[in-house]
Amino acid sequence: MSLDTEHENVQAALAAEALDALDGEEREALHAHLAGCAECRAELESLREAASLLAHTAPHVPLAPARSDRIRARLLARAAADVRGGEAAEPVVAAPETRVIPIASRRRSALPAWLAAAASVLIAIGLGAYALSLRGRVSSLEQQTASLSRDRGRLESTLAEREATLAALAGPEVRVITLASTQERAPSGRMFWNPVRRRYTFFAYNLPQVRPGREYQLWLITPAGPVAAPTFRPGRDGAGSVEGAYDVPNEQIRAVAVTEEPAGGLPKPTGEVLIVGNAAE
Amino acid sequence: MHPTQRTVSYLPADDSGPDDGALVRRMAAGDEKALGLLYDRWSPLLHSVARRIVADPNDAEEVLEEAFWQAWRQAGRYEEGRGGVSTWLTMIVRSRALDRVRARGRLREESWENIPEPGSGDGEGPASPDAAAEQDERRRLIAAAVAQLPPEQRETVELAYFRGLSQSEIAAKLGQPLGTVKTRARLALQKLRESLVVFREEGG
Repeated sequence: MSLDTEHENVQAALAAEALDALDGEEREALHAHLAGCAECRAELESLREAASLLAHTAPHVPLAPARSDRIRARLLARAAADVRGGEAAEPVVAAPETRVIPIASRRRSALPAWLAAAASVLIAIGLGAYALSLRGRVSSLEQQTASLSRDRGRLESTLAEREATLAALAGPEVRVITLASTQERAPSGRMFWNPVRRRYTFFAYNLPQVRPGREYQLWLITPAGPVAAPTFRPGRDGAGSVEGAYDVPNEQIRAVAVTEEPAGGLPKPTGEVLIVGNAAE
Repeated sequence: MHPTQRTVSYLPADDSGPDDGALVRRMAAGDEKALGLLYDRWSPLLHSVARRIVADPNDAEEVLEEAFWQAWRQAGRYEEGRGGVSTWLTMIVRSRALDRVRARGRLREESWENIPEPGSGDGEGPASPDAAAEQDERRRLIAAAVAQLPPEQRETVELAYFRGLSQSEIAAKLGQPLGTVKTRARLALQKLRESLVVFREEGG
């Protein structure tokens, strides 16, 4: 077939193509020709435009405004989601006997993009709230842990004190100094003195209540004079105790005594001696 | 036709605001508001075309939405000056509607006499009376042009356009040789193309 004849055949086929009415083989032949023929492409375009006039002959069937608004709103929501990277590239075609609300994405999950976007916002809010509540729980647990640590520290140090006390009291090297009252009343005391550990634990009994602003003070009596030890206040039963370390050479401790002194104690005794005990064996 | 010439015959009455080409360019750039404006402008026509092709009103609404969605997705591929935006949109809605008919296995099988004549639309028309009048006028002009076609030519192009039949199916349906169908289609479209020039002159 000559080129002219082909061109004639094509011209005859163009109108059918403009109406999408060409059958397979002829359509392929036409497209092959169109690829190299600008004149026929232009002719086809103008015939397509003419064919589209037929659309305007469709009877006007108005869409109920509420339904139209819904479609419009859904389209805009889908488009907005699409801009953020959403939906399938091609509209979904309904399968037979299936009502398709065309919001499903073919490429991804059954969630339409705008719904997925909304869901992800909700999930983000949910995660944010969850993270907040987790942070809250963590900080309260941290507080509990810190408080337990403090308790444990207190218990450990108390236990250590008790162990030190026991160790100071219990060793074979511990000597006991009994203090006797210097008065008619019978306050008394007992000092557990550990010269190896250089610690003492002192207990007093039946001590009279001290006046306000006054405390009892323990003294280690040496040849050079009394060495101040800590002060203490007796309980209502008149009992009190004090423990401590000393750096006086053991052999210089000749006696221990208790006096009443201003609260906090003094470097040298001023009050009269209440009880006293000899440290000598 | 002149590729750069705007096809004013297709412009709906609310000719205010951005022209269709600008709206499609904005859509291609990801502006969904442009899609809304295009919908406002063209959904009455596209819905009517869908209703003309598919049997079920709900199907027609879904086809309408699918068509605008496809327009949104393919806005970047739209080429200005190839028949105008309305040609592009009506091609899309027709194609979607015919797909729906094929998927349903159901044609709109009403007798053609039951289809109301153009211009006798029932119910609410476009928003403003002026717009209604202008759209009615446009439809009337186009209907007149189509009405001037010999009945066998009109029947041929309508079977192809609204029923999606191929030329060989039309030939079988009408009991005519394939060549005759081709010729009728060509004569019909050429006459309609001539009327386009008239519309352009009238539309300014």
